[in-house]
Amino acid sequence: MIRHQPRLRALLSAGITLLLIMGLIASQWLLGDTPQQMQFDARLAPPSLAHWFGTDALGRELWARTLAGLSISFWVGCLAALLSTLIALSLAALAALSRRLDALVSLLIDTLLSVPHLILLMLIAFALGGGTQAVIIAVAATHWPSLARVLRAELLHLRQAPYVRISRALGKSRWFVLHSHLLPHLLPHCLIGALLLFPHAILHEAALTFLGFGLSPSQPAVGVLLAEAMRYLTGGYWWLGVFPGLGLLIMVLCFARLGSNLRRAL
Amino acid sequence: MAKPFRPILLGITLSCLAVASGVQAKEQLILAIGGEPEQGFDPLLGWGQYGNPLFQSTLLSRGKDLSPQAELATEWSLSDDRLTWTLILRDDARFSDGTPLTAEDVAYTFNTAARAGGRADLSALEVATALDDHTVTLRLQAPRITFIDQLLTLGIVPSAERDNGYSERYGRHPIGSGPYQLVEWQEGEQLIVERNPYFYGPEPTFERLVFLFTGEDTTLSTAHAGQVDIASAPAALASNLPAHMNRTIMQSVDNRGILFPMQPASGEQAASGAPIGNDVTADIAIRQAINLAVDRDTLVDVALHGFGRPAFGPADGLPWSAEEEQIAAPNLGLAAEILDGAGWKLRDDGVRYKDGLPARFRLTYPSSDTTRQLLSEVSAEMVRPLGIDMQPTGRHWDEIKREALHQDAIMLGFGSHSPQEIYYLFHSQHAGNGFYNSGFYANAEVDANLDAAQAAESVAQANDYWRAAQWGGTTGYGVRGDASWAWLVNLEHVYFTNSCLDVGELGIAPHGHGWPITSNLLEWRWTCD
Repeated sequence: MIRHQPRLRALLSAGITLLLIMGLIASQWLLGDTPQQMQFDARLAPPSLAHWFGTDALGRELWARTLAGLSISFWVGCLAALLSTLIALSLAALAALSRRLDALVSLLIDTLLSVPHLILLMLIAFALGGGTQAVIIAVAATHWPSLARVLRAELLHLRQAPYVRISRALGKSRWFVLHSHLLPHLLPHCLIGALLLFPHAILHEAALTFLGFGLSPSQPAVGVLLAEAMRYLTGGYWWLGVFPGLGLLIMVLCFARLGSNLRRAL
Repeated sequence: MAKPFRPILLGITLSCLAVASGVQAKEQLILAIGGEPEQGFDPLLGWGQYGNPLFQSTLLSRGKDLSPQAELATEWSLSDDRLTWTLILRDDARFSDGTPLTAEDVAYTFNTAARAGGRADLSALEVATALDDHTVTLRLQAPRITFIDQLLTLGIVPSAERDNGYSERYGRHPIGSGPYQLVEWQEGEQLIVERNPYFYGPEPTFERLVFLFTGEDTTLSTAHAGQVDIASAPAALASNLPAHMNRTIMQSVDNRGILFPMQPASGEQAASGAPIGNDVTADIAIRQAINLAVDRDTLVDVALHGFGRPAFGPADGLPWSAEEEQIAAPNLGLAAEILDGAGWKLRDDGVRYKDGLPARFRLTYPSSDTTRQLLSEVSAEMVRPLGIDMQPTGRHWDEIKREALHQDAIMLGFGSHSPQEIYYLFHSQHAGNGFYNSGFYANAEVDANLDAAQAAESVAQANDYWRAAQWGGTTGYGVRGDASWAWLVNLEHVYFTNSCLDVGELGIAPHGHGWPITSNLLEWRWTCD
């Protein structure tokens, strides 16, 4: 039933994702300093009723740290995806203004797409000195090209639409046409683009942090938790990696499904 | 087969097996015991500063009790005015290219090292002179009790005047008279060394050593996969012993503690451009309170998993450290009183303030070091109830040097077989000298005691002055005085060693650089067929 009803699927995905977001936002208030609280007599305890996801090397509850980590990833992903979308939209709009600018923007998109993502991410994050701000800027600066290419193509198509040509023939300025006719059409694309960028953004944030170029090791970010888990992997402390990894996977899947379902529905 | 041939055939078979087992005897060891020196294997630039330079020989070596023993020098003496060392060299020492090592090489090494500005501190040396092929004198500008450490640690390089002599490329292509010679060095990956056929001492058991330069994770993974014979294990992960390996523990004076910036932030910068000073840690009340609040036994238990002991100074248990320099148990009540008395008042947000300044500062640690991360996070947790917000911050070493070294509290480590390190750590003359005294500590009375120790007539007298610098009755660099550090723990160096490898009786390790476990390399034996 649901398979053949794109709008219903989109609504369902949106509902689940909304629940997840609300849970993450609420957890920030509810957790307090639980993710940092150490219990020296319960270090590296396996999952149990007392410690749902087990504890880490300092006796900190892994469920609380996983939630805190997902919350950090969510905000970093949100800001990075938003910034990335703004860059993509701005450049696509710029490309629509003239053929020369269009060529320049296309060159920029092709250049960035030809460089491996992760290397560029590491270089930017390292150059900016690491930390949350550096990760957001690095992810935003590297994720816009695909969306920019889609938006540019859409704009070029829209430019030939009859109502746009009529508007121009009536002597309306380029800015007017862009602002009143083109951009409103692009907004749904932007929304879906941002949603599809989000899972990439959080995955890359986690990867950067895991590799030591991202967030500080003292923050309970998912990348930090996974990097710590790697150190203890040979000791058989499987829960250190499994729960943060699963949390990240679920969040990424939720947003990816929402994005693709919305695209189909719209 | 005819019966008479059977014993002959059996004999031939057994002989073949015996030969084969001889051929298969362990000739190569693979070690993952730490990093590589950035500047290469050049003693003039710091290689071997903690002893045992592997490729080179030193004039003297340390015995198990740390006393000086003959090495390249068979006899040595210090003149009555304590200004001239005279050393007689052995006559069978050769470099790995087969040429003899002479007094000219020793004089060249000392004179060049004094000019090179490396980590070997030869500022007291006036000149080194070769009197003949086997006699060398070292003339000092002023008496210096710790000069003997240079005889124990500075590896001798071939004079630049000879073929294959010292050059700028030496660090990458070292030639020395030590037990091994370099075969190949792939920086960041591995170092391969083989026996030096001209080594004057007993022949090392193993023909070839391969040193792998891997991170903590990879080292442990390779140990668990049985691909290395010795692997250093961070204390936090040392309890998980790989199959077919033993846990070998080397006692050490390798310590970890919090170095505090001692000057208020005034906008000054060090020569490196790094900002100097921190208004919070410049207050002695903060430093004393932290020293009183941290529970060192718990730190050993949690961060080192029991592989260590509490530390109260830079050289606990050594003759130049004051035994009384201890804090019996954490005392949060007294720490709070000290803070109250100094005007640090607790507010509703759980942090103390003094004239609007919050008791908040970064505690920076190298993000690649698990042990330092754990120590930082746990000690920050321990001082939080006092209202001191120490913020553990992981950074790359480059970042630490560039930005944090003189303005953040830093989780550092030292530990040496020589009191010379005390001089570097606490004398104002060494303020901002790399990691030494990077907190810009300065106390005239401590300086005077340190200078008096260097000029002392005997080791015993010098030790009195070293201890007085730690606590002289009214002041000192130690926990009873300026509390310039919060020393936390002394590490035990933990290695996973192949169960067939006997590493003999290990000495006491200094700070981890320079592969301290190799100090008794010539005693290592393979015990399996």
